[in-house]
Amino acid sequence: MKEITKYGWIAYITARSHIAYAGEVFTRIVLMTVILYVFSRVWLAVYGVNSGPRLAGLTITQMIWYLVATEAFALSGPRTWYEVEQDVRTGRVAVQLIHPLSYGLTHLGKAMGERIVRFAIYMLAGVVIALAIAGPLRWTASGLAMFLAILPLAFLLDFLGHFLVGLCAFWLESVNGLALIYTRATMLLGGLILPMEMYPAALQPTLRRLPFASMVYAPGRMFVDPSGAVFFKAFWTQAAALIVFLCIVGAVQAAAFKRVFSNGG
Amino acid sequence: MTRGVEIKELRKNFVLKRWQGCRRIASEAVAVDGISLKVPEGQSVAFIGPNGAGKSTTIKILTGILHPTSGDVYVAGYIPWRDRRKLAYQIGTVFGQRSQLWYHLPPIDTFDLLSRIYSLKRVDFVRTRDSLIERFALGGFLHIPVRKLSLGQRMRAEVAASLLHRPRILFLDEPTIGLDVIARQELRDLICEWNREEGATVLLTSHDAGDIEQVAERVIVIHHGRIVVDDDVAAVRRRYLGSKILRVQFHETPREIPFRGMKLIERSLHEMKIEIDTSVISAQLAIARVLDAGRVADLSIEDPPLEQVIGRIYSQAAAAGAP
Repeated sequence: MKEITKYGWIAYITARSHIAYAGEVFTRIVLMTVILYVFSRVWLAVYGVNSGPRLAGLTITQMIWYLVATEAFALSGPRTWYEVEQDVRTGRVAVQLIHPLSYGLTHLGKAMGERIVRFAIYMLAGVVIALAIAGPLRWTASGLAMFLAILPLAFLLDFLGHFLVGLCAFWLESVNGLALIYTRATMLLGGLILPMEMYPAALQPTLRRLPFASMVYAPGRMFVDPSGAVFFKAFWTQAAALIVFLCIVGAVQAAAFKRVFSNGG
Repeated sequence: MTRGVEIKELRKNFVLKRWQGCRRIASEAVAVDGISLKVPEGQSVAFIGPNGAGKSTTIKILTGILHPTSGDVYVAGYIPWRDRRKLAYQIGTVFGQRSQLWYHLPPIDTFDLLSRIYSLKRVDFVRTRDSLIERFALGGFLHIPVRKLSLGQRMRAEVAASLLHRPRILFLDEPTIGLDVIARQELRDLICEWNREEGATVLLTSHDAGDIEQVAERVIVIHHGRIVVDDDVAAVRRRYLGSKILRVQFHETPREIPFRGMKLIERSLHEMKIEIDTSVISAQLAIARVLDAGRVADLSIEDPPLEQVIGRIYSQAAAAGAP
């Protein structure tokens, strides 16, 4: 239990560190406002020319709230890959390893602390904007419970993806390119702006099986249109993706740590 | 088994791979080449050597960060790379060029976090923290974000952070780098005090002769991965520089002194600074000659600065044809 508490404290300290700058918090709110305003106008126009009141099974109100949830997820992603890359390139990994901590769990704690703060800020801004543009959404307790069950797993999966990209710094000079591919794949294949139902029918089965959809689309859908069937499907996909990611990360980290070498005089 | 540090035939080779045309060629670089030593508990040891000598690699093996290629190492009774997390409770580490303090938060928050990381009992932690705050004079900036602290304040907080769990062994890797003269002196005094009062073992690496002279009682010089000198600081100075510095102040302008074995370094109207080569002339004879030269108002004899000693050791090691 004490071991888990350590990482909880790391998350807490990271969270505090990320609200230390009021200016940064304000910038994030402005960014979210601009993004939501632009995409809301786009969806309002699309729904305006569309004959029916629903697209991909969602009303315009649900679609705008879907945007709030998915954008908050995408924008709140901590740059764990950059942190790991810096650990490797500057030798900062040495400072991490002198403490009685697991390297991976330390980064998980930091990522979760940062993510929760940022996600909360973006959601707060998003809720205000969505209420102003589209009005309230009808939530149910079970719907919110399903959303809150799916969300931490989505955060965890995204962390593992970032961490894996960062670990590649043990072999590559720079992981910028890989990080760019990963983040864009999350946005484009995960259903950031378009829900899965709007992708070509032939691609949908594959996309739904990829981890990206269970990070972005699944929490977004649970937020606006929760259903038990979708929840369990998303939950099992997340669980499977989690097992695969954990195996890969474990193997890569073990190989990477054999490559730690001295840096500096 | 010693509670200090014990190293037997430690070796660390790095494999370097490079492309030659379409083929990848692997070559080995030897960073540590058969080091053996024992550091008893409570001793303060300076580990010095030129850049690339292998001292940082050795420290990183001792702290469990790196695995050696071969050899046995025991630190506080643990094998570092096998028991890294257990060992972490016994050691404190300060890397002068890397910080463990949270940049945007005040030092007190990092202290609090470290108390959780090391699973310290609240009452013990508060007692140690308060004692360190007093000893290191941290009270004035404890609640100011680290980014707003001077380097001297930051390093004091940094060392205090590494002592919160009362480590038995303290590794200091260039702790005074970048500090001004006063901050450097303060930090050295604090480390000495901790070593003296807590009986903790101190292993220090530094390029600053003052750190070595004032903090360490024993010096180990490493060159090309091998130990070239292992002795106490005073003995190293005596052995590696057969010279003394003589400062003399006369009541009047002195007569000329026959300078065989005595090199005049500085001279003013009534003062002289002379370097004595004790292999040519004994200190006793040199002083007698100086006393003959005029009425002496004041006289002092000093050892040469450690920088000079270190410089000589390095050049001797290079001349000895170390690979």
